[in-house]
Amino acid sequence: MDRQTPATAFWILLAVVLIAVFLLVRQHRTTRALRVRAERAENWARARADEERHLVDARLPALAESLAHRPVEVPGARSPEAAESHERVLAQFADSVRQATERGEQSARATLKSMMRAVQSLSNEQQVAISAMQERHDDPDVLAGLMRIDHMNSQLNRRAQATAVLCGSWPGQQRSASPLTDVVRGATSRIRDYLRVNLPAESDVAVVSRAVEPVVLAVAELLDNAARHSPPNTSVEVNFQQAHNGMVVMIDDGGVGMTVEELHRAARLLAGDGGSDINRLGDPPQVGFAVIGVLAQRYGFRVSVDTRSPYGGVRAVVFLPTELLTRVSKPTMPDNAVALPPTPRPTGAVDDTVLGRTPGGLPRRRRTQPADQGTPPAPADQRIATGLAAWKRGTESGRATTPPPVAEGNTQA
Amino acid sequence: MSGDRHLRGLVRPYVVTGGRAHASRNTFDAVTVVIATREQVSGLSPEKKRLMELCRGGALSVAEIAAHLSLPISVTKVLLSDLVDSGHIATHAAVSHTARPDMKLLKDVLDGLRARL
Repeated sequence: MDRQTPATAFWILLAVVLIAVFLLVRQHRTTRALRVRAERAENWARARADEERHLVDARLPALAESLAHRPVEVPGARSPEAAESHERVLAQFADSVRQATERGEQSARATLKSMMRAVQSLSNEQQVAISAMQERHDDPDVLAGLMRIDHMNSQLNRRAQATAVLCGSWPGQQRSASPLTDVVRGATSRIRDYLRVNLPAESDVAVVSRAVEPVVLAVAELLDNAARHSPPNTSVEVNFQQAHNGMVVMIDDGGVGMTVEELHRAARLLAGDGGSDINRLGDPPQVGFAVIGVLAQRYGFRVSVDTRSPYGGVRAVVFLPTELLTRVSKPTMPDNAVALPPTPRPTGAVDDTVLGRTPGGLPRRRRTQPADQGTPPAPADQRIATGLAAWKRGTESGRATTPPPVAEGNTQA
Repeated sequence: MSGDRHLRGLVRPYVVTGGRAHASRNTFDAVTVVIATREQVSGLSPEKKRLMELCRGGALSVAEIAAHLSLPISVTKVLLSDLVDSGHIATHAAVSHTARPDMKLLKDVLDGLRARL
């Protein structure tokens, strides 16, 4: 038993040592693996923190800038692992910014629109009052003052109208189909330097009712641009040209022309691209092209300003398609003017107002009335016109027998 | 007349007269009678052309012309003055004045009355 005890003790010891060694080795391995993992985790966390700082300090502000339409490049992620989740954050951010901007813009537009509508209706009322006064007062000095007020009021109304259109409103003012000449003259009456605009000969083409006001407004903006960007001693030339499937209005100015950037901006706005964004008009706001772009898109006409004018400045071209055009068949001639005798001056011996003599030797005269031709009784003003014409013919028939009527010249002052 | 009213709102009077409120002559009143003395109307503004068309049909008073053109009388006078200046129309100030030179007719009437009485 005694001999066996040390041996047993040795084996037990050996076993304990072996187990301890094994455990130590395993422990060591585990520690090493854990250290590596911890290091990796630390690196990852650092990279992540870096990436987040990059997101907050660089990417989001850049995105916000670019959403505010400033030319800023949004930097990409530094490490690819974070990219996906951060892209989602950025997309959400962009979305909410866009929505907030849109809401803000919409409410700004609605406010501006209703304000402009109030201004417009006041200005229209004022125009009616001015017209009434122009009818009532015969004094040229009063008329001169009224014309000045009328002119300023028309310009004011155009500004209000342009702003309202930009805010999504309709141009207002329903008008009947009007000759193209009157449409362009209507446009000239709304700009400051209307006397510098040279108009072409009358055209028999008319603009359909629904397009009158939009075309007037667009042409007015173009004329205003042309007059404002050319020397005050030059004229603005307007010309009409018949095209294959429409009509072209050309507006030439002798100004300085436009730079390449301005032309790009104009082309973009005239195409109706981004024109309705009231936050991007600059300061002072340049509404002209934006308004034209909105109107052109809505009513289906085309405007371009990219041609160099032979006068040195810009040639603005408005193309009105056939759908927006109609013909005028002299609708402006009042009925009672037709009732006037077509040939007022007697030619030769035939004279229907003096019919020989009465038995008593008095010259026999007869009233000329349209009733002779079997027409229904004429209205009061027509009777006046006919009466005056008859009187005139009577006068002339009386003179017809005398030598050349020298007396006629006397009454000309 | 509603069409005219629309049209009047479109082209304002200051454009019609080229910004002038004062007529070049003050011989017109509402009953002055106007007749066209020239056929040619090229180079005239649309209102003046229409005015000439109206007057070619016979004599018309200033008030009637203004009503047909849907323009205020004061504005019509400016246009009429221009047309008198350019020789397109002639005026007769009043009925009594123009009746005065009609001597032959008056003489005939006088002779006839003398023969009867």
